[in-house]
Amino acid sequence: MSRDKKEEGNRSNDLDRVIENSRRDFLRKLTLAGAVTVTGGAAIYSGHRFEKAKHREGYVKVLTEDNRLVEIPVEQMRDFKPDLRMLQSRGREGIAGKRWVMVIDLSKCRNARKCVEACQSAHHLRPYEYHINTLVMQESVNTPAFFMPKPCQHCDNPPCVSVCPVDATFKRQDGIVLIDNDRCIGCRFCMAACPYSARIFHWQEPSKHEEDGNKEYDVELNVPQKKGTISKCLFSADRLREGMLPYCVSACPNGVFYFGDENEDAVTNGTTKETVRFSELIEKNGGYRLMPELGTQPRVYYLPPKNRIFEFEQGEKREYKQEKA
Amino acid sequence: MDEIRFNTPHEKGKIDSLASDILKSVRINAGFLLWMTFLFTLLAACLFAYIIQLRKGLGVTGLRDFTSWGMYIANFVFFVATSLCGMLISSVLGLIGYNWVKPISRIAEIIAIAFAAVAGLVIISDMGRPDRLPYVFLFGRVQSPILWDVTVVTTYFVLSMLLWFFPMIPDLAIAKDRLEGRPKFLIRAYELLSFRWMHHEVQYRILGQAVRILLILIIPTAFAIHTVTSWLFAVTPRTGWDSTIFGPYFISGAFVSGAAAVIIAMYFFRVNYKLEKYLNARVFERMGRVMILVAIVYLYFNLNEFLVPAYKLKTGDAIHLRELFTGHYAMLFWGIQLIGLVIPILLLLFRQMRKPLPMMIISLFVLCASWFKRYIIVVPPQAHPNLPVQNVPVEWMVYSPTLIETAVTVASIVLVLIIITILSKLFPVIPIWEMAEEKEDAERIIQ
Amino acid sequence: MKYTTGVIICLMLLPSFARGQDWVVPDDRKGRLSTFPFTDDTRKEGEKLYQVNCHSCHGDPGRNNFIALQPPPGDPATEKIQRNSDGEIFHKVSAGRGQMPSFRSVLTTDEIWKVVSFIRSFNRSYVQKVMQVITSSAYPGAIISMKLAYDEATKQVLVIASATSETGTVPVTGAGVRLLAARYFGKMAVDEEKTTDVNGVATFSVPEGLRGDTAGNIGFSAMFTDEATFGSVSKDTVLMAGMPVIPVSLTANRAMWNTVRKAPVWIILAYGLGVLAVWGFIVLVMFKLRDIFTVGTALSENISASHGQTEPTKN
Repeated sequence: MSRDKKEEGNRSNDLDRVIENSRRDFLRKLTLAGAVTVTGGAAIYSGHRFEKAKHREGYVKVLTEDNRLVEIPVEQMRDFKPDLRMLQSRGREGIAGKRWVMVIDLSKCRNARKCVEACQSAHHLRPYEYHINTLVMQESVNTPAFFMPKPCQHCDNPPCVSVCPVDATFKRQDGIVLIDNDRCIGCRFCMAACPYSARIFHWQEPSKHEEDGNKEYDVELNVPQKKGTISKCLFSADRLREGMLPYCVSACPNGVFYFGDENEDAVTNGTTKETVRFSELIEKNGGYRLMPELGTQPRVYYLPPKNRIFEFEQGEKREYKQEKA
Repeated sequence: MDEIRFNTPHEKGKIDSLASDILKSVRINAGFLLWMTFLFTLLAACLFAYIIQLRKGLGVTGLRDFTSWGMYIANFVFFVATSLCGMLISSVLGLIGYNWVKPISRIAEIIAIAFAAVAGLVIISDMGRPDRLPYVFLFGRVQSPILWDVTVVTTYFVLSMLLWFFPMIPDLAIAKDRLEGRPKFLIRAYELLSFRWMHHEVQYRILGQAVRILLILIIPTAFAIHTVTSWLFAVTPRTGWDSTIFGPYFISGAFVSGAAAVIIAMYFFRVNYKLEKYLNARVFERMGRVMILVAIVYLYFNLNEFLVPAYKLKTGDAIHLRELFTGHYAMLFWGIQLIGLVIPILLLLFRQMRKPLPMMIISLFVLCASWFKRYIIVVPPQAHPNLPVQNVPVEWMVYSPTLIETAVTVASIVLVLIIITILSKLFPVIPIWEMAEEKEDAERIIQ
Repeated sequence: MKYTTGVIICLMLLPSFARGQDWVVPDDRKGRLSTFPFTDDTRKEGEKLYQVNCHSCHGDPGRNNFIALQPPPGDPATEKIQRNSDGEIFHKVSAGRGQMPSFRSVLTTDEIWKVVSFIRSFNRSYVQKVMQVITSSAYPGAIISMKLAYDEATKQVLVIASATSETGTVPVTGAGVRLLAARYFGKMAVDEEKTTDVNGVATFSVPEGLRGDTAGNIGFSAMFTDEATFGSVSKDTVLMAGMPVIPVSLTANRAMWNTVRKAPVWIILAYGLGVLAVWGFIVLVMFKLRDIFTVGTALSENISASHGQTEPTKN
């Protein structure tokens, strides 16, 4: 409250000055932040950002990590590939200033399972290994059945993270609960502790372990997956870094998922790309979280399955065959 | 060396007769070698199963994403539980002043050492990445009950070792000159390990201090080791584990399985090592009473653990208890409660049943039931998570242990037997000097 | 099989969709043309936009792998879609219908044209007609511009539109304007669509608690809704119109789930002191072992010394 008051006092009534101020502010931001953030975190850490040479032949302009614009000869340019240390440090830190939040509108889910497929292909999982799964729910005999996509709830009081003995699973400043499969010892305590059954374990070699063998491990993508370790939903931390919506969110054909930043109070629908106010969406549609009695404080919200424009149809039962090791 | 004078009240003759009885079994004979060959062959066969698991991953077990803790963890809990007997016999009963525990305190410590040591190994067999075991020490989080468990199991093992070794020092000194015909290395080891024990008053005083510290220290450690093991379950929000009485429930259960293990071991040493004079009917009779007491306490905690949620039938509890009482696990559940708890209590109330052989048979049932009880605690609560299990292969829905899993578990039990055999065959199982002291006291009272 | 059942059910449930096979585009929209010629660059950018916005339903053009919905979304490479005029495609993308969402607030006019450019690249016989005049039909010959300002007192954002020509500057009146606020994943509509008044000003009220950055800055974009009449003019401006938000890291406080460094103090103390105490005593006990050894050594030296004294006399 008091901060608002102080801020008001600082604000000028002179519109022009305000406009001029914000324009200058904007320009400063553009030069500092804009240039760096737009292309994503990789560029920040690389310390080099390339720009087409405009003046001197054979030279390119490069913005260094400490924001100096320098020119270097073209032949000295090297493509930057993030190394493990960098991937780990940025992956564990998270994106400053963000608080990711997901809203799942149950009234729109008709079990297309596009979210599941997109997720599994991005994270190299088998058809029965889920970071996100769509469940058929019916809470009691007389209440309606509905489909419920269930990713990791990315709790603010995560029971799974509390019990990890080696800091392999951890919560970041932006709220994402990640798993570092370079650290995981495979004790599965986190699976035992998770009330949402959100975690999976690699009981055998992961599906693409041969192709992925030499890839640098990205903790934000959890690829390559590793045998004998845990894997879980990551809120597509790698995509968020690039300003893109998570794989599941943008794959949904039915407009079920909203994703955004709680600090901005905005969530964007993955199908219609419409951006709405998070608080308003939750308030107007009776949003809720799963198992609030457990005190886990999920970052995933659900909108109840009311006013559905389609009949609930379970469809044919799918058979899942376990792959032989 | 015969000139050593006994400065303590022991008389040489008494010591001689005791030593010759007790040291009779300390020898490497054909029977021992045959038994060890058998154990090691079995161990090798079972370890082959573990190598398969190492190569192919934990997928060779029946564990899957929903029931992700199974036989290995149940076995681990059983081992930790059984190892608690060391604390119960030597510390609790010993410190209270019951002298009848003297002949069995070392047996209890041997069992404690064997089970605690193997418990540490068992947990490694359950790890998806056993190669990363050092990470627990490098990156350990103090908030994780696993770190606490690793700490207290190690500490308890060390304390049990010390509590086995310290009171044995005078025995080693007594025995080192009475080992004619035993292998050279054994005599040398006795000499080294007796730490220049001269039966001097000062040495007895120092030893007494050390043992008293250990006896007191092992009580909180033993409580911690099994309370923490229970917390591996109780700190999760899972129905069936989410219980506030899990600590005492586990500890009272541990006393039951520990007492059973001690009684079985007592019987085997009595018969095989011809120690009827020391492990006599009186000691068995007393152990029978201890067994009744701890079993009744455990029954009481069982009543709490199942009756209270069964009264309320909250959604998750209702499903869980239905599975136990009338569902998939009903046979096992009621079998354990009856054969492992209710019937033993009733039988042991009769004096005739507290004789060595009937007690040993009853204890065998109790010990087996204790193992399955841990299985019932670990496995069923995972089969029905809060959210439905869907879109997975059918094998994932119900857990059933595989042959490989069973073999690895058998390996751990074989390893326990190997440790118990080595410790009891190479060192005296009954404390010589303490027995001599007790005899002295008894005679003084008679006079 | 599953999809077939789904389709049948949808057919029964949603006759309205099945009925309207033809999607009629208003005549005045049909002839609308792109303001720029389609090139390889526009096609490439269009492809990127297509992948993000359209691919989940329409699939890859030419492969007929659109998802099973009723009515079917259709493959953009097919004749059914290609026979639409540029203006028709533009309108359908922009307006949406039924399950096809409106992309008006997602993509800018230029971006929709780039998507059209990409879609047209699958049609070999297509020859583009480019709009010749890139000015407003309402203010011929004038350059139309917008300015944004924030009125702190009324909590309103003002969009001032004016047309400048050789004859001077006049306010643009009666033009529909939309105001959007920049968010991380897209632009969010602020207030309803407004129309400029006689002074060329459209007034948008900023909703209570609209979040800005640490200083309360929000990046706004204003644009005309009727681009055919007023031209595709848009304006991006940062205004200090929002509620300042100081982001707090979710891992700032000590908690059971946090890293060791941020563990609750009591648990670090309890664990540390407990381990120290027990192992301290264990070390103490080990010293007792040394004491026993020392005493024993001293005693045996005494004995051997006394032996040394007595032995000669024995001999």
